[in-house]
Amino acid sequence: MPKARLIDVSKCIACRACQVACKQWNELEAVTTRQRGTYENPPRLSAHTWIKVEFRERPNEWLFRAHTCMHCTNAGCEQVCPTGAISHQGEVVVIDQNWCVGCGYCVQACPFHVPDKDEIAGTARKCTFCIDRITNGLTPACAKTCPTGAIQFGERADMIAAAHDRVQTLVARDGYRGARVYGEHEMGGLHTIYVLTDAPEVFGLPEEPRLATATVGTQWLSGAITAGVIAILPFWLLFQRRNRIAAERESNQREV
Amino acid sequence: MTTWSAPIYVYLWLAGMAGGSYFAAFLAERFAGYNQRRLTQLAIQMGVLPAVLGVLLLLADLGNPLRFWHLLAEFNILSPMSMGTWILLAWVAIAVVMNVLYRYEGQHGEPGGRPIHRLNGGLGWLQFLFSILLMSYTGVLLATSNRALWAGSALIPPLFVASAVSTGIAVLIAYILVVAPVTTGKTTEYRLPARLLTGSTEWAIPTRLVGRLWEAEAIVILVELVVLIGLVAWLGSSAMAGAREALNMLTFGALAAPFWVGVVLLASIVPLAFDMMSPGKELARREVFRVALASSVCVLLGALFLRAVIVIGGQL
Repeated sequence: MPKARLIDVSKCIACRACQVACKQWNELEAVTTRQRGTYENPPRLSAHTWIKVEFRERPNEWLFRAHTCMHCTNAGCEQVCPTGAISHQGEVVVIDQNWCVGCGYCVQACPFHVPDKDEIAGTARKCTFCIDRITNGLTPACAKTCPTGAIQFGERADMIAAAHDRVQTLVARDGYRGARVYGEHEMGGLHTIYVLTDAPEVFGLPEEPRLATATVGTQWLSGAITAGVIAILPFWLLFQRRNRIAAERESNQREV
Repeated sequence: MTTWSAPIYVYLWLAGMAGGSYFAAFLAERFAGYNQRRLTQLAIQMGVLPAVLGVLLLLADLGNPLRFWHLLAEFNILSPMSMGTWILLAWVAIAVVMNVLYRYEGQHGEPGGRPIHRLNGGLGWLQFLFSILLMSYTGVLLATSNRALWAGSALIPPLFVASAVSTGIAVLIAYILVVAPVTTGKTTEYRLPARLLTGSTEWAIPTRLVGRLWEAEAIVILVELVVLIGLVAWLGSSAMAGAREALNMLTFGALAAPFWVGVVLLASIVPLAFDMMSPGKELARREVFRVALASSVCVLLGALFLRAVIVIGGQL
């Protein structure tokens, strides 16, 4: 049975223990950052930061969301990878660090802006879902350390059921009319499921994340059609048709 | 922070130039009914350099260049980068074989050369198809992503194909004008230093053919301009996240100067103005020659600006 991680934004207090636990378990180095007028730090996910709490401020309200790899069922990063270094191991999308060439295509393809190229190692890196832990019956470091239960880990079906229950409570009891589950169906089903208190855009998530390769056939076709148009428009018109007209005019004059 | 920067946009420019010059030369000579494929031969000989330079830039941009062979261990039809690797490899391989055959054909005269001539003719068609794929690939690579500027519309491949053809024509014209003019008395002919290329005597490229290429270039630039306007209109009207921001960045923001000066002015308006200044395309006249050369340089630089603006703009 596939596993999943459930992130409930309504329970997140932005303590960032998940960030610290992730760095500690995966031995990711600290990143030097500058004060940007916010407690949100570091500013973005990177090759050295695989989970981070995003801060958004609204009148009388702070919104927090732990951002990390979604481990999509239909993963754009995996589909565009030119070497096959990105693959699914069960529900986990992993990057083989010994095979990745560091082309950066996965960085461009991810709808959630998760993978990042490590300029020193020369490979793309991102959350591994603590595959070394979960294959040994442990929970990912971020879920293990979360002090409020905002990050949970378990069977995907159980996580989705728990998410729907929580949304019902948020709507009925707490008045979050926009609350919803995110990740049940997106990208063929995510393995990081969210309980959101508002629309995905409010939390910096795409309403309908798209697979990068969804239009690849159309894109090739549009290039080929343009080549066809250019072949006819200037080349056939200028080089063949004009030659023929000139030849016809010449023969007409000769006849006259 | 941008993952893809100068090596990638220069690479896309060079790959487009290689494919575009062959595409243009092949069509010009076929449609004009020339039996001797001088221009096609020139394009295939010239095209190897930008294609190989492009591959080297691509390798240099890899995080682990020594693992480049991993790209050759995979054939992933959904990944434009995988397909592009194979297309580029095939393009360079065919170009090298055709070059060797041209040289052999030139040295051994007609009787022995005839089967080789036929073989080169077949390879020529194959290379024409690969040139279309190569030009398209430079756009499809970006369009198969999740960046609003690149992937929202299906207009990046058409834009890059049109730009590749105009760049290809410009580099052909510039090469012919700079390397080949021979003035005898009052007339100027364009003769290529063929001995360097095939070991045979000098070839002449008909001046009329060069003039027609210049005319064709103007029409291709118009096609490119129409696609660019379409892209801008799409960015302005799309509800896709990031589309409006991309438009603002191109037209008023961080990339406004290279967009307006490099892409709009240098790649489109100035070459079109140059084209209108020389209606007869009498390249034997010194001032027309200068205008044609200036126009080609503008097109080449403008195409580089276009790729830089699109590649960088998509990632900001």
